[in-house]
Amino acid sequence: MSASLENLETQLEMFIENVRQIRIIVSDFQPQGQSVLNQKIQSLVTGLQEVDKLKSQVHDILVPTEVFDYIDQGRNPQLYTKDCIDKALAKNEEVKGKIDSYKRFKSHLLTELSKTFPNEIAKYKAIRGGE
Amino acid sequence: MMSDQFRKVEPYSPKSSPRGGRSPVVSRQDSSGTLKTTISLGKNPSIVHSGPFYLMKEPPAECEQTGATNLMAYHGLEHSYSKFNGKKLKESLSSFLPNLPGIMDGPGQEDNSTLGSVIAKRPIGGKELLPLSSAQLAGFRLHPGPLPEQYRYVSATPPKKHKPNKHKKHKHKDGAPPGQDTPLQDSSNPDTYEKKHKKQKRHEDDKERKKRKKEKKRKKQKHSPEHGGLTPNQHPVP
Repeated sequence: MSASLENLETQLEMFIENVRQIRIIVSDFQPQGQSVLNQKIQSLVTGLQEVDKLKSQVHDILVPTEVFDYIDQGRNPQLYTKDCIDKALAKNEEVKGKIDSYKRFKSHLLTELSKTFPNEIAKYKAIRGGE
Repeated sequence: MMSDQFRKVEPYSPKSSPRGGRSPVVSRQDSSGTLKTTISLGKNPSIVHSGPFYLMKEPPAECEQTGATNLMAYHGLEHSYSKFNGKKLKESLSSFLPNLPGIMDGPGQEDNSTLGSVIAKRPIGGKELLPLSSAQLAGFRLHPGPLPEQYRYVSATPPKKHKPNKHKKHKHKDGAPPGQDTPLQDSSNPDTYEKKHKKQKRHEDDKERKKRKKEKKRKKQKHSPEHGGLTPNQHPVP
């Protein structure tokens, strides 16, 4: 998985580098640069072919669309991961708090009920296996 | 009109329930002592001996993983957590992709280059990618000369944030900033490209150092009286 991603990354970087070089050639074009430019354009096509070949290796990788919003706003996509981790942790703590509270409530309720309804609670505990 | 309709219906409405005054849904106190077993149907039919208790169900099965467990540790994500929360992440996209040239920290909507638009309007695909013929390449024949002013903004390098260096020794050791136009390299061969890419930093450092040394030498020669060089205050008037 990571090897295929690295491969794709390398190909994309090469493609971008090619585009950057074309930009430099084109920004102040010299007549003798035409053959180099043609070569570069052909290598763009080759680069696209290479990227196209790699799509089968990464088709099972799922990317949350929310990451694109971060990238589109010029923000570091790792911030999305960080936000997700923070949210998951906060929710985890919240649910743990609820579960712990319910456990305490249950034991308190049983204690209080056994004071008022000792027989019923004894039966209840017998059914529940001493919970 | 409405009130007439109600009046017509009224005679037919039952005055009392056929089952008497009891609702069939609401459970009543069991005086016979026969309701001691609860049979629950559904996915997992079960018979619960509920004793004197009504509506008693089997408690949910114990689950190894609940919200009370540390899910970060359960899924082995503690490393990622400490990685992202330990240090302060840089906000900009360019800090995530430092090797990419050009300006990328602005919103993509400005130049319609959002990834969202790629999803919203999918590009045409499924066609075979073929190298261009010589006739097609003729379309890329360019006029010599620099680009018109309006197209030059793309090649502008992002403003580099000036950080005062604590150590003067490392003042000139930085590599090329992102987006700076470095000399053309041959990126056609993936192997050479990869090797270059890996050793890029070291090579750049060496090159930079050598360049600076050469420039210094040249400057020294220029400014030396033997070469008739100018002192810093003696610039030729255009």
